[in-house]
Amino acid sequence: MTSSRTDAAPAAQLVDVAMPQMGVSVTEGTVVEWKLAIGDPVVAEETICEITTDKIDTELPAPASGVLREIVVQVGETVEVGTVLARIATGEVGETAAVEPAPNRRYSPVVSRIAAEHHIDLARVIGTGRDGRVRKQDVLAVIGDTPAPASDPPLHIESPYIPEPAAAAPAPPDDGATLSRMRRQIGAHMKRSLETAATCTTWMEVDMGRVEAARKQARIGDLIGITALPIVARATVEALHDFPAMNATLDGERYEQHRRIHLGIAVSLGREGGLIVPVVRDAQELSAEGLAARIRDLAQRARANRLQPDEVHGGTFTITNPGQHGAIMATPVINQPQVAILDLEAIVKRPIVVTDDDGNDMISIRPQTILGLSWDHRALDGVQAAQFLAAIRRRLERWEH
Amino acid sequence: MLLMRGIEQRAMNLYRQGRVPGSFYDGFGQEAVSAGATFAMAAEDRICALHRDLAAHVVRGTEPERILAQYMGRATGITRGRDGNVHFGDKERGLVGMVSMLPDMMLVATGMAMAFKLRGEARAALTFFGDGSTSRGDFHEALNWAAVQRLPVIFVLENNQYAYSTPTALQFAVDPVERARSYGMTGETVDGNDAEAMFEVTRAARERAVAGGGPTLIEAVTMRMHGHAAHDDMRYVPPELLAAWRERDPIDLQERRLAALAEPLDSAALRAEVQAEIDAATELALAAPMPDPATALDGLFAEEAVPLGDGRAPWSGFDA
Amino acid sequence: MPEKTYLQAISDGLREEMRADERVFLMGEDIGAFGGAFKVTDGFLDEFGETRVMDTPLAESGIVGTAVGAAVVGMRPVCEMQFSDFVACGFDQLVNVAGKMHYRQGLAVPITVRLPSGGGFSGGPFHSQNPEAWFMHSPGIKVVAPSTPEDAKGLLIKGIRDPNPVVYLEHKNLYRRIKGEVPDGAYETDFSARVARAGDDLVVIAYGAMVHTALAATTPEQLDGATVEVLDLRSLVPLDEEAILASVRKCSKVVVLDEANATCAAGAQVAALIAERGFEDLDGPVVRVAAPDVPIPFSPPLEQAVLPGVDRVKEACRDLLAY
Repeated sequence: MTSSRTDAAPAAQLVDVAMPQMGVSVTEGTVVEWKLAIGDPVVAEETICEITTDKIDTELPAPASGVLREIVVQVGETVEVGTVLARIATGEVGETAAVEPAPNRRYSPVVSRIAAEHHIDLARVIGTGRDGRVRKQDVLAVIGDTPAPASDPPLHIESPYIPEPAAAAPAPPDDGATLSRMRRQIGAHMKRSLETAATCTTWMEVDMGRVEAARKQARIGDLIGITALPIVARATVEALHDFPAMNATLDGERYEQHRRIHLGIAVSLGREGGLIVPVVRDAQELSAEGLAARIRDLAQRARANRLQPDEVHGGTFTITNPGQHGAIMATPVINQPQVAILDLEAIVKRPIVVTDDDGNDMISIRPQTILGLSWDHRALDGVQAAQFLAAIRRRLERWEH
Repeated sequence: MLLMRGIEQRAMNLYRQGRVPGSFYDGFGQEAVSAGATFAMAAEDRICALHRDLAAHVVRGTEPERILAQYMGRATGITRGRDGNVHFGDKERGLVGMVSMLPDMMLVATGMAMAFKLRGEARAALTFFGDGSTSRGDFHEALNWAAVQRLPVIFVLENNQYAYSTPTALQFAVDPVERARSYGMTGETVDGNDAEAMFEVTRAARERAVAGGGPTLIEAVTMRMHGHAAHDDMRYVPPELLAAWRERDPIDLQERRLAALAEPLDSAALRAEVQAEIDAATELALAAPMPDPATALDGLFAEEAVPLGDGRAPWSGFDA
Repeated sequence: MPEKTYLQAISDGLREEMRADERVFLMGEDIGAFGGAFKVTDGFLDEFGETRVMDTPLAESGIVGTAVGAAVVGMRPVCEMQFSDFVACGFDQLVNVAGKMHYRQGLAVPITVRLPSGGGFSGGPFHSQNPEAWFMHSPGIKVVAPSTPEDAKGLLIKGIRDPNPVVYLEHKNLYRRIKGEVPDGAYETDFSARVARAGDDLVVIAYGAMVHTALAATTPEQLDGATVEVLDLRSLVPLDEEAILASVRKCSKVVVLDEANATCAAGAQVAALIAERGFEDLDGPVVRVAAPDVPIPFSPPLEQAVLPGVDRVKEACRDLLAY
């Protein structure tokens, strides 16, 4: 007993109510019913509970007057003779107010729960907390139960680390045989085109001032560091939308216009020579920036010999852009079975007659290019070629930037 | 336009019959704005529609019975009862539903256009917003951002003369479309009651956007012919102003135009067809169940991210 | 495993996800050429280019709003608020547009918003805040706050891959101060709590920088041999309720620690949870240590008086242990 507990209830003494021996051979009994509840006043000899044994059922009289402080054995529980069934606090007879625990006799939820589970009389537990408060460890010490050591938490370094895949082996370099086979294939393809198609070429001059300005004013996500090719490609795609006759194939007698625009871009394979025409599928869905990214990707992979087979077939129109060596005109060969091919050569500054808003003519220095369109006279006529080129020119000369 | 007006009139009747909880907002008199603009957009384009823009939903293919079910808080409405009235967008059809804070969706549309540009796609985004919302900061942030990055986005300002009860004279000193140039973009004013004019100006803006020409601010001048919401009797609007605009009803205008064609449209037959569709949709919506209260907590978080789908683009010329 | 700072771990996480997923791109003020106010994205511009490391206009609402737009058409934007305080300007887009989108119309918004947060360096009232509770109170937004370099990387990667808006609080006071082993490659850290140190007599529940304060304040030598558990929440939404209750069950005495202002802070939610579901396990009142409800002041003695420090935490633990 700590002094503080004694201070709080100076007159209180606890009297046990035990399971009686109801016959020589009787060793145990069962509580049938409690007649009083905890806190009820108790009068000595008054029935406090009913018990049953294998010999007899009987009422149990209270051994003392006071207040029923604790019920240890619940209804239905069978216990040995002599087991404490309940405790009566004497010296508090009839004074129900005294049942109210003193402030320092309040127990925390966890202490109350453990005590109830183990039938511990907390009033008898020595408290080591502030002002003698019974703490969790105090009640655990009574039942001899120290908390089980916590299992080790998982180590924080045990992460689901997945090693990065090893880099792919570089593609084997082309050997001479491959190149010469490619040259033979290009040659056969070109010759067959010229033998098959009634090839004509139409040229048109285009003022590339706005396109050049667009490239120079490139902003975020824009055409930074690219050539005019993707802008010309975008203008061509838009023009093809209005001139579906150009976005077509002619195979023998079979002429077919295509709704989707699969744009072939002729790519030079560099110093060793050779040419490949990867195809930008569904070019109508791509902006100039999108075309730029796709063309860049296809060209890089073409030069690394890493194109997939289906990336070089199925084109419906082709653009060729042989590079920045200063040539100004060419007569491209149609990529069979398509019906036309557009050639973009160098953009060069030229003196050009322009007309101002007031109708005055003057000489101006403008960046010009000559677009060349080779077309198949079996499928098309010259006026269509000219209208188509004019549509491209109109878009390029009004290019918004 | 007829479908929009018919659905909204039916919804207003249902509201008066006590079938529509909460409040109800309509776009009576403004049908040409969303109808004309949405017809100019491609299937793969994306649209943020506002509470006066029901035609945008109808054009993109959202079914009338789901719209009516939405108004009535039914389980078959587009938001399954989670949001009311015109606060919806069918994610399968490239529509993002509005929020009440205006013009928040200007930034969302700008962001969609930014993604198109980053990915190099020839697509555009469009958002509607009202005259009142031009006073908020998101209006500035969106216009500035879109111009700086030259994004393929179209801003359709529906100037319907009143923000709730506040007239434009108390909202701005300079007409917002005049600010377009100072942000660095094209600004166009158009008769918002003329569906064909709306179509043409939007079509041009879309072509400019997709060609890399950057954003456009379109001011569609129109008039809100009903109150802000169903409870609002509009006593603050001068009657003569309403009378003048009533003469310029967008549906009447289009009907006269179609009647003057070489092969005139049988508008009576068209009206009957639309009314039958709305009647059937109403029946379906009224028969639809209310949402199960046990599902009120469902769907707060996504398990996976599925982007917006394509909408219908019946007459744009840009169908996928 | 290499040892890295918290800051390097965040950079690592961003870099891994950008390399692995071309939908991931960064938006923020001064994150490109300058590499960000805290250099988290230093060198990113060179590797990924300006379309994926986007210097935006000075417009927080614009950053969050356009990120929402990009996300609903298939991108995975990661936004940086230069300081967490500035998210107030993007609050509406985050709470009303992003947070409610999926509940309303079933449309996922996979955006990550990085918030350099917290005080302790005389940042003053506008550069020191801990705004996590704003977003805990807004349905539809996940909120995470790593305390270690390893978690900083793993939680960020997990957040970027999550199909929902994720607010990621990175504590400025940990950037270069805290180092730890960080696995190479990409890995995800679950949005769950972890036991930073096991103990039996009392548990301190904390997150972010306060985890380190808790660890420093509660060694057995300082507390008469008592063993104190430190639970690092890591994720505030979702809140790992079972981990909290397990620690309460074991220790029965709880100190909840926030660097944020006390009222309605994350720790207030933790305390409420324990009151509701851990009551039977308590052997003392739930004690809270948090910043009082004033703006975080600038001058060092004032700031130290407001922000919870090692001494305050130690005192609170000592007091509760004696209870």
